[in-house]
Amino acid sequence: MPSAWLSTHLRAARPRVLAALNRAFADLDLAEDAFQEASLKALKNWSPEDLPRDPAAWLVVAGRNAGIDIVRKKKRETLSAPEDLDPIIDLSDTEEALTDQLDRSVYRDDILRLLFTCCHPVLRRDQQIALSLKIVAGLSVDEIARAFLVQPKTMEQRITRAKKRLGAAKLRYEEPDAKARAERFSAVANAIYLVFNEGYSASHGSQLIRTPLCLEAIRLARLMVRLFPEEPELRGLLALCLIQHSRHRARVNTNGEAVTLEFQDRSKWDRRLISEGNVLLEAALRSAAPGPLQIEAAIAATHTRAATYDDTNWTELDRLYRALEIIRPSPVVLLNRAVVIAKLKGPEEALQLLEKLSAPLERYASYHAATAALLTDLEQYPKARAAYKAAIRHAGTDVERQHIQSKLDALGH
Amino acid sequence: MLFSVLIYANEDFMDAITPEEHAEIMRHHRAFHEHTKGAKTFAAATKLMSTGTAVTINKESDDYLVTDGPFAETKEQFMGFYMIDCPSLEEAIDTVKLLPLEHGRVEIRPVAYFEGADFKNAERLVIDAS
Repeated sequence: MPSAWLSTHLRAARPRVLAALNRAFADLDLAEDAFQEASLKALKNWSPEDLPRDPAAWLVVAGRNAGIDIVRKKKRETLSAPEDLDPIIDLSDTEEALTDQLDRSVYRDDILRLLFTCCHPVLRRDQQIALSLKIVAGLSVDEIARAFLVQPKTMEQRITRAKKRLGAAKLRYEEPDAKARAERFSAVANAIYLVFNEGYSASHGSQLIRTPLCLEAIRLARLMVRLFPEEPELRGLLALCLIQHSRHRARVNTNGEAVTLEFQDRSKWDRRLISEGNVLLEAALRSAAPGPLQIEAAIAATHTRAATYDDTNWTELDRLYRALEIIRPSPVVLLNRAVVIAKLKGPEEALQLLEKLSAPLERYASYHAATAALLTDLEQYPKARAAYKAAIRHAGTDVERQHIQSKLDALGH
Repeated sequence: MLFSVLIYANEDFMDAITPEEHAEIMRHHRAFHEHTKGAKTFAAATKLMSTGTAVTINKESDDYLVTDGPFAETKEQFMGFYMIDCPSLEEAIDTVKLLPLEHGRVEIRPVAYFEGADFKNAERLVIDAS
C-alpha cells in the first residue's frame, strides 16, 4: 500500500515528468508507460524520510530508462538489433546533474509541447479535454468517463481515436512564432476552461457541480500561470476559475437545488478565492493585452463586488459584455448581454435582442429560460409558460430541469 | 529576541494534496499556534497567496520595471512566515519542530529590526484575505 504522501508527490510531478518523457520519445503512449514504470520504481525506493532532492528529475531519469527498456523489448520482438540507446546506470549521480540541468525553461517548453499536443486543432474539443485530463492531469479513463457520464469503453475509444489522429497528423515541433504561440496558449487555456465548465455546470446527469473537475482545472491553470506568468490570458483563466468557484457553496441549496445569483447567500462566497482572483486579474490587465478570458473574469469580478444583487453594477457589465462581443462574438455572449439590458432598459428591449437569437440558440435551455423570465415580467404568462416548457425540454441536468420546473409552477396554470 | 520563521515548499506538491493531507498539515500549524500563543512567544503569522499573484518591481536607471511572477524562480516557493519571540535560537528551533517539516523547508532568521503593533498587549488583528 503506497503512502498517500508518495502518491501526492507522483501526482504533483506528473505533468512535468510526462512532458519531459514525451519530448524524449515523441510518443504519448510510450511516455505514459515509462511514467508508470518510473512511478512503480519510486514507490519501491522512496520513503517519506528519504525523498530525492527533486522528485521530478528522479522520475525523468527513471522514466527514461524504463522507456528505453520498453523500446528495446519491442525492437527484439521485431527482430531488429538493439541500438545505441543506453540506460543511465547510476541514478543518484545523474539525478544531481539533471536537477541542475532541468531548469524552468526546459520544463516550460516540455509542458507547453505536451499541452499543445493534447489541444492540437486536428482534435475535436471533447477529444482535447479527454486527452488533457488523461495525459496531463493523469486521471484514469474510468474517472474521466465518470466525470462526463459516458461508459469507460466509450471514453477509452475517444482517447484512442484522439491519439491515432495525432499520429496521423505527424506533428512537428518547430519553434512557434509569436502568433502561433498566442493561438496555442488560447487553445490550452480553452481546454482547461472547458474542463472547469464541465465541473461548474455539468452538461448532463443529476448533479449541478462536479467539484473534482473544477479543482483539477484550477490546479492545471495554476501550473500554467506559474510556468508562464507573463501570459495575461492564463492569469485571466485562473482568475476566472477562482472567482467562479468561489460561489460553489452558495449555488446549491441543502436540497441540492440550484440557486441563481439573485438569491445566493453572498456570505457563503469564498472571499479568499475572490481576492486571489482579483489580484490575478489586476495583474493580467496591467499588460494591456485584453483577451476573452480576462474579460470574462472581469465580469465575474464585477458580480463579486456587489454587496447585494441590487447593488450590481449593470452599466459596467454591459460595457464588459460589449467588449466581449467585439473580441469574441457569440450568441451566448449576446444572451448574457440581453439579461443585462433588461436590468438597464427594461424587458421589452431585452426581448428584441433575444428574438435575433431564436435560431442559433434554439436548443439552449438558458435562452428559453431567459426569454420566459422576461415574458413573465411583461405579464405575458401563456408565452412565458411555453418558453419555460421549451427550456425544460433542452435542459441537460435534473437539477436544471427541477429549477425551471419550479419557475413554471410559480406561474400557475 | 525576535525570530522570523520562513516557510518554503513546492507549490506543485501543495496543489496536489488531498483535503486529508491538507488537514494533517494544518494540524501541525495549529499546534504551533497554540504552543506559541500559550507560551506568549507568538508575534505574527503570515500566509502568502500563490506565487502566480506576485509581481516583482525593479529600478532600472530612472524607470521602474514591473514584471509578473516572483523574484526568484526556485524549486521551492516562499509560502509565508511566522514571527516568534524566543529568548534563544535553541528555543526557536525547538518551537519550529512543531511545524510540518516533511515537505518543504523552514528557515529561521533572527530579526534585526521590527516595527509594528505591540503584539503582546494590543488587540490581535487577523486578516483572512477577504
